[in-house]
Amino acid sequence: MNRIQTVFGILTLLSLSAAALAQDPQAIIREVQARAKSASQRYEGTLTVIEGTNKVTEKRWSFERIGSHGDSKSLLRFSAPAEVKGVALLVVNHPDRSSDQWMWTPAIGRERRIALQSRSQRFFGTDFSFEDLEERDIEQFDHRLLGEEQLEGADCWKIESKPRQGKVSQYTHSHVWVRKDNYVVVQIENFKKTELIRRAKYSNIQRVQNIWTAHNIEMFDAGRKSRTILVFEKLQYNLPMKDENFTIQAMRREP
Amino acid sequence: MRLFRLLSWPYLKRHVLRWTLTVAGIVLGVAVYVAMNTVNASVQGAFSDTVQQIAGATQLQVTSGEFGFEESVLERVQAVPQVDVAVPIIEATVDTSLPGEGTMLVLGVDMTGDTSLRDYSMESADDALIDDPLVFLAQPDSLMVSREFAARNRFEVNSKIPLHTAEGDKTFTVRGVMKSTGMNKAFGGSLAIMDIYAAQVVFGRGRRFDRIDIRAKDGVPVEECQKAVQEALGPGFEVGPPSSRTEHFAALMQSYTLATQVSSLFALVVGMFIIYNSFAIAVTHRRAEIGILRALGATQKQVRRIFLLESAVAGLAGSLLGAAIGMAGAQALASSMGNLTQQMVGVAQRTSEIVVNPWLLVAAIAFGIATSVIAAWIPARNASAVDPVQALQKGKYQVLSAGENRRRRMAAAILAVVSVGTLFFASWKPAFYAGYLLMIGAVLLLAPALTLLLARASRPLLRRILPVEGTLAADSLIQTPRRTSATVAALMLSLAMAMGFGGVTYSMRAAIDDWMTTALNPDFFMSPTANLVSRATTFPEEIGPLIESVPGVATVQLVRNARIMYRKVPVMVVSIESEKLRATAPRKPMEGNEEEMYRLAKAGKGAIISDAFQANHNLKLGDVLELPTPSGIIALPVAGIIRDYSDMQGALFIDRSVYVQNWKDTTVNLARVYVDKGENPDDVKQRIQKAIEGRQHLVILSNAEIREYVFGLVERWFSMSRVQIVVAVLVAVLGIINTLTVSITDRRRELGVLQAVGGLRMQVRRTIWLEALSIGAIGVILGIALGLLNIYYTLGMVRRDLGGLDLDYMFPMPMAVALVPVILIAAFIAALGPAEAAVRGSLVEALEYE
Repeated sequence: MNRIQTVFGILTLLSLSAAALAQDPQAIIREVQARAKSASQRYEGTLTVIEGTNKVTEKRWSFERIGSHGDSKSLLRFSAPAEVKGVALLVVNHPDRSSDQWMWTPAIGRERRIALQSRSQRFFGTDFSFEDLEERDIEQFDHRLLGEEQLEGADCWKIESKPRQGKVSQYTHSHVWVRKDNYVVVQIENFKKTELIRRAKYSNIQRVQNIWTAHNIEMFDAGRKSRTILVFEKLQYNLPMKDENFTIQAMRREP
Repeated sequence: MRLFRLLSWPYLKRHVLRWTLTVAGIVLGVAVYVAMNTVNASVQGAFSDTVQQIAGATQLQVTSGEFGFEESVLERVQAVPQVDVAVPIIEATVDTSLPGEGTMLVLGVDMTGDTSLRDYSMESADDALIDDPLVFLAQPDSLMVSREFAARNRFEVNSKIPLHTAEGDKTFTVRGVMKSTGMNKAFGGSLAIMDIYAAQVVFGRGRRFDRIDIRAKDGVPVEECQKAVQEALGPGFEVGPPSSRTEHFAALMQSYTLATQVSSLFALVVGMFIIYNSFAIAVTHRRAEIGILRALGATQKQVRRIFLLESAVAGLAGSLLGAAIGMAGAQALASSMGNLTQQMVGVAQRTSEIVVNPWLLVAAIAFGIATSVIAAWIPARNASAVDPVQALQKGKYQVLSAGENRRRRMAAAILAVVSVGTLFFASWKPAFYAGYLLMIGAVLLLAPALTLLLARASRPLLRRILPVEGTLAADSLIQTPRRTSATVAALMLSLAMAMGFGGVTYSMRAAIDDWMTTALNPDFFMSPTANLVSRATTFPEEIGPLIESVPGVATVQLVRNARIMYRKVPVMVVSIESEKLRATAPRKPMEGNEEEMYRLAKAGKGAIISDAFQANHNLKLGDVLELPTPSGIIALPVAGIIRDYSDMQGALFIDRSVYVQNWKDTTVNLARVYVDKGENPDDVKQRIQKAIEGRQHLVILSNAEIREYVFGLVERWFSMSRVQIVVAVLVAVLGIINTLTVSITDRRRELGVLQAVGGLRMQVRRTIWLEALSIGAIGVILGIALGLLNIYYTLGMVRRDLGGLDLDYMFPMPMAVALVPVILIAAFIAALGPAEAAVRGSLVEALEYE
């Protein structure tokens, strides 16, 4: 989901010189981040999980974020189906360390902290992991340009991201494809050593309030052979939001 | 071998019944030995299996006794650099309302992280809604169940399961069926998984966890991780491998294990007497054959070998059959014994399968053979010493010579004197047990003489009852003390053992009755479950004042009890409102001053310990107890020692303020409720129920119900003594049948003559019956006499090694009175067959006999 977050914010088209950045992967990613930057974000998402056995489940949630890249807070609240309505997840991102995450289950009336050690676990039966929900800052990774490739007809840089020492991650490295024309991330492959763990594909890229934003993300779990498709609706940036709405107390409040 | 074929085989074929009875002695001993040990091993094995199966990849576990600890401890553990995964656990057994299911183990886990340690693979992705864990977490009624459990109850996803919880009877929904992994087999397959935060609510845990399961980081040795976590948490917590839970359970079961060992040994010793009796009789009966063999050149060694070989064969046959019967018995007993131990020690386990230990079977068969050979040793030696000339003189070898009698009495006197001497050193365990064995040895040596004495004493009485039959019966006993005394000795020993256990039960019942009258005197006891030893479910302390505000309620006392580790042994801590308790149920200390005891306890400057706790840990007044708590070690001096039976292993009492402060827990297990004088308890009960309705589900038990419950547990715990009475009866039947069978064979001519001169068949029958009743009566008299001594030693054994309970010596008169008709009826029944055999034989053959 950090990839989701990353992609949500990197779709701003700026006419910077691609050539000038081409040799510096750090600069490319910084530019991706800069173009995606917004003070806040809100959308309604539909999550469809397609199991390897073709069993399909669907959920809906609303999402709000305040802040950006490495210094943001987000609150995700499920709205359907009825069994999970009201369940919320609060993510507080930090620039220098992994995020803090809490979950709220209204039927029990309890919040629970998602331990750092649990971040590699699947996010509630989807093909995202809890770690994928983090919004990570460029400074937490080292980047290396692997080359240039065409993906879905678009020219892309293929960049390798490796977590820096001290950064806790289930992945040893990731391959990130960034479109040259708009600095939008269109694919991320996450690896554990040489084994592909997950692949995220970003599509239906539209310009929203001057930020190029993918409206579809398809996450593929290579181990389970299952897919999760996240579709964004009613996406808006830079809405007025309050910090106090991104606390454990706020999470407990029914909307 | 040729001699065995020539001498033993024809004899064996001619006396199938007698051999069957002989073998039955070994069958009995080995069967009880195998069954008791197998059940014991199975109960412990089931617990160990469950621990291992639910441990998954867990390498270490953090516990703080049964009280658990605050949630914040989890973050302290997760922050330890050597820890890779640390997840919280709540473990509880709950009663299901499902037919035939009984209790079920519910594991509360945090599904967001627990999959790192345990395999929750689902049975079928299509059916398993748990593949949507969000629904599982969002709905507090969610349960995952094992495939075995689902199959047994025909459950599938979305099926409903009724469970008794702290919130009353609640219905849960199956949201996943787990694949058949190792974990699924835990607790006999009756396993369910639920969300830990839902479990906190359902089991009244507040914001606490029972334990934390840990996996060390890759490359970090477990010992290093253990040390790091222990340092991070301090000495109030226990950090150890999952297997340490098994050790704790074994420690709790120690007294039970010892009791089963004693019982098994008793069964084997009894079996030994039956064998001895049979062979002693066989040697006497076959002396003519032995004489002929010896005259033909057989050596003494060869004759001895024949009998020892016979005994080995009998031992082998009896052992094999006994082992098979023992295993079958264990299978039948395992489940109920598992339930019993769960009720007694309050530790969840479920024994659905028996543990087949090949070494136990080998050992049992070896013991059986050895017992048989040892028992036959003296008869075999006597057989080898048979003088060929004397061999044809009937009855010679059934009479004890004056010299032999004198030697036996002398030896008995020496053993008795040494045994009495050991009483002066009885505080030293080996001296105590040596004295016990010497006392039994002395009585056994005296058995023939005492049998003869009592037989002679019974002659006038028997003659008065039935002049002819009575005299013949008494004379038969007097003339052949060797034939009778082994049976009497076996009966005496088994009755004495039964009396010993019965005496403990009797004393225990009296002591508990007294204890309940003084200590358990509230009108009501309120608990989240009807099972009072289940400490898994608690309720908030706020309920106490709520109950107290009900009109008619005089006072409410809150109790929280659970086990903690003290000196590496699980001990029961009971937190009490000491001042309130003193006002309603003051306890007189066995040691210490009552005023001072309660003052120190109330001030949090002392603990009150039970006599069993004192004995088990060798403590005295003023000794300082160092108790581990989540806040660290607290030091409490022993402020008083009281007689208490709250727990078999002993209990220590602390004030509730000390508990709340150090364990950071305000929950309650039990509320003791006193009703105002003049109030109708039933009316008050109804008002209480109304007051707590919707707030808290609590079971209200009356004082009478509690008494019944406690006595029920005691009765079940000592049900073993009833098993021993059954064994005693069996011994009586087997021994008496054996003795009478030989007696009739020996007296065949005599009985034939009796009939020839006009004796009626009924007179012969009555003679045999009276002989049997006399053996039974002598056995009962000597058994009760030895029982008087045995009770003393058994109580000593209980005080030393079976829980440290200091019980008063009490003679179980009702049991002794009950034993008389039971044994006499058994003796009479045993005599029916032989008596019929005696009157139905050919008179001509009988007269031609010998």
